[in-house]
Amino acid sequence: MKNNQPLAQQQPPADALIIGAGFAGLGTAIRLQQQGIRNITILERSDDVGGTWRDNQYPGAACDIPSNLYSFSFAQNPNWSRSFSGSREILEYIHHLVNHFNLRQYIRFNQNVSNLAWDQDKGLWQATTTDGDVFSGRTTVMAQGPLSNPGWPGIVGIEDFEGKKLHSAAWDHDYDLKGKRIAVIGTGASAIQIVPELAKCADKLTVFQRTPPWIMPRPDFTTPDWNKTLFRKAPVSQTAVRKALYLAHESMALAVIWNSPLTRFAERLGRWHLRKQVPDRWLRRQLTPDYRMGCKRILVSNDYYPALQKPNTKLITWPIDRISENGIRTVEGIEHQFDCIVFATGFEVSNAGTPFPITGIGGRSLNEEWKRGAQAYKSINVSGYPNLFFTFGPNSGPGHNSALVYMESQMDYIVRSIRTIQSLKLKALDVRQSAQDDHNRSIQSRLAKTNWNSGCQSWYLTEDGFNATMYPGFATQYAKQMADLELEDYRLLAEEAASETV
Amino acid sequence: MAKIDLDNMLEKIKNTQWSLSDVDWDAPGAELITPEQWPKLKAFMADLMWIEHVGARAFAAMAKKAPDDTLRQIYTYFHAEEQRHANAEMALMKRWGMLEDGELPEPNNNLRLVIEWLDRFADDQPVYVLGTVVPMLEIALDGALCKFLLDTVDDPVCHQAFELINGDEARHLGVGFSVMEMQGHGKTYIELIRMTAQLMDPRLILGIASYFPLLNKMRDNIVEMGLPEEKLYEAMRKFEKIGGRTGDGRRNPWFQIIKHHGRFVVDRKKRFYHAPIDALVKVADVIPKKAFPAVPSWVKEITYHPTA
Repeated sequence: MKNNQPLAQQQPPADALIIGAGFAGLGTAIRLQQQGIRNITILERSDDVGGTWRDNQYPGAACDIPSNLYSFSFAQNPNWSRSFSGSREILEYIHHLVNHFNLRQYIRFNQNVSNLAWDQDKGLWQATTTDGDVFSGRTTVMAQGPLSNPGWPGIVGIEDFEGKKLHSAAWDHDYDLKGKRIAVIGTGASAIQIVPELAKCADKLTVFQRTPPWIMPRPDFTTPDWNKTLFRKAPVSQTAVRKALYLAHESMALAVIWNSPLTRFAERLGRWHLRKQVPDRWLRRQLTPDYRMGCKRILVSNDYYPALQKPNTKLITWPIDRISENGIRTVEGIEHQFDCIVFATGFEVSNAGTPFPITGIGGRSLNEEWKRGAQAYKSINVSGYPNLFFTFGPNSGPGHNSALVYMESQMDYIVRSIRTIQSLKLKALDVRQSAQDDHNRSIQSRLAKTNWNSGCQSWYLTEDGFNATMYPGFATQYAKQMADLELEDYRLLAEEAASETV
Repeated sequence: MAKIDLDNMLEKIKNTQWSLSDVDWDAPGAELITPEQWPKLKAFMADLMWIEHVGARAFAAMAKKAPDDTLRQIYTYFHAEEQRHANAEMALMKRWGMLEDGELPEPNNNLRLVIEWLDRFADDQPVYVLGTVVPMLEIALDGALCKFLLDTVDDPVCHQAFELINGDEARHLGVGFSVMEMQGHGKTYIELIRMTAQLMDPRLILGIASYFPLLNKMRDNIVEMGLPEEKLYEAMRKFEKIGGRTGDGRRNPWFQIIKHHGRFVVDRKKRFYHAPIDALVKVADVIPKKAFPAVPSWVKEITYHPTA
């Protein structure tokens, strides 16, 4: 939609235009606010905050990282009810952040950005929404989430199914699952949480698996009251626990990211967990991964394997031929019939492209540039797209530690950059192509030695096998990478020198 | 047969799927089975169904060991397709009144031994051992048995089902022989040394000890059903002909072994082979059912119901 259409409204420019009101967008707003930057606009496509945790409210939804680590270090919550909190409690925490830091004033709800373009003359990013409104910002933060749109599998006949279709990332809470014949397609992180819940209420539950995941025991427990009191009265004790959890997860990098003796040890632990919970040899064989641990996301669960062995539950590993009106046809020639199919098939991954068109200097299109795999400088800036910052940009994904730890490094980098733009009165801060290329050469050569690039197919890789997703190192290394704003890697364009870069 | 492009083959496999509900199992024609045929056919179909089913399990083992992802996917499909054949054959048995509701046909003792071996050791075998034995079983037993069936049974539903089954089997054999040639493409000497090492693996020796008598047992069954055993031998010679059509195929040491073994099987005069193997068949026959451990759970996955 063009900007000059009658319905379009032009808003005054913000110092920081943030797209998305999930953890990253809200966290960035908090950090900016703490630095005295308050001219912030947050565009949220939905009518509520929370991003991933607002959308993923399927039965059993929970986080795979302990809550004391999956929360902001600057806003710790002493009241987590469990070691691994459920999605509702995490959403409550996000609501608490919004209220506590008074963020609602910045948020424009129901504003779905459909286009983002750099106006070189004005030195502004212009975000157009699907309603035709235009919001501008001197800087823009992409906090729309790397995994925010439900991904549907490319199975033939998916539109023919006449029963109910549910997606884990867009759950219909009005649909009553009790006594239904239910199929679950997918055995990833969402599926292994949904299956135990559905097994409790379904008449018949059938789980369709293509590749078995590695599943580790989940040290989940209810937080005792004395623990909450201790954290409230002596916050330093919670910081100490957080640090310990951080270091414990850091050590897991040695097993997860690189192929080491610890990888073998972790695989043995995974197989022990399976053997302990699944006595039947054939079922165990079906559930045993045949790829190196760490190549795909490692899952944690204590109740998935037992749920699969309930009398009303069945695991199907035959390839799916097609979906029909009444159910799912598999290659062993049988049509499995259902009232409802649950697609626990994850998200659309934009590791080769952008979620909406982004136009940079001279009309260049980021979608085009990222077609063969996304690339950025330190995961956060892209040359030719000044004053634009990515949270969870290319090669920032953690495989072993809390995403929020990585996010905090990104947020602090963004705040430092925006303060620099303001204090140096810059019109544009644009990373140099050479710096971006150097960074990517180093990242890709490090990635070549990781488990993610060891040969299995995963959403971490593009169709061509290019890894634009993961960061090949410890969270501590990533924090070090993000600790300094190295201005020599950027082209700086001063406000008064309108046409020339320095 | 030219060497096949496995990626194209995988696409073709995905695009030519069928399911049990594509066949009308209640259509007229079941009455064409004569009362004389019925008991023989029942035993025959049970054997055929079990051979398909153990073939399925062998493909499952090959999928685990496949050298690349395309072949792994192909074998995963073949595993399911062989299961589909077993399911379809059971549906025919049900149609002909050979099965009670929920009944599973009894496997003979030689098949029980093969099932036991597959369940315990097949996943540990090098892919090329099974990759050579399975085409032999498919071409010989499947081929000969299916031919016999279609020659003697007039039921049009049986012909319809086997047209679908044979379409799959043609692809299984195409891939099977192509993979045998891939294995033969290399340094024969090194492969020979490697094979010798593999042959000394006691798990493989146990496999051989269940495979050899199975062939003789099937020969005996065929004779009992009135099929000239020469038909089985013709099918086995086809293995030698197709498998040995190229230099690469002939260089595959496993092909050579299976081929020479096939020559023994088809020649009853080779007493030094047949006497001990026939003795093993007799021994297997007298093993009491109770002596076998419980059947593995994959055996219970077969069904004659087109829907679940």
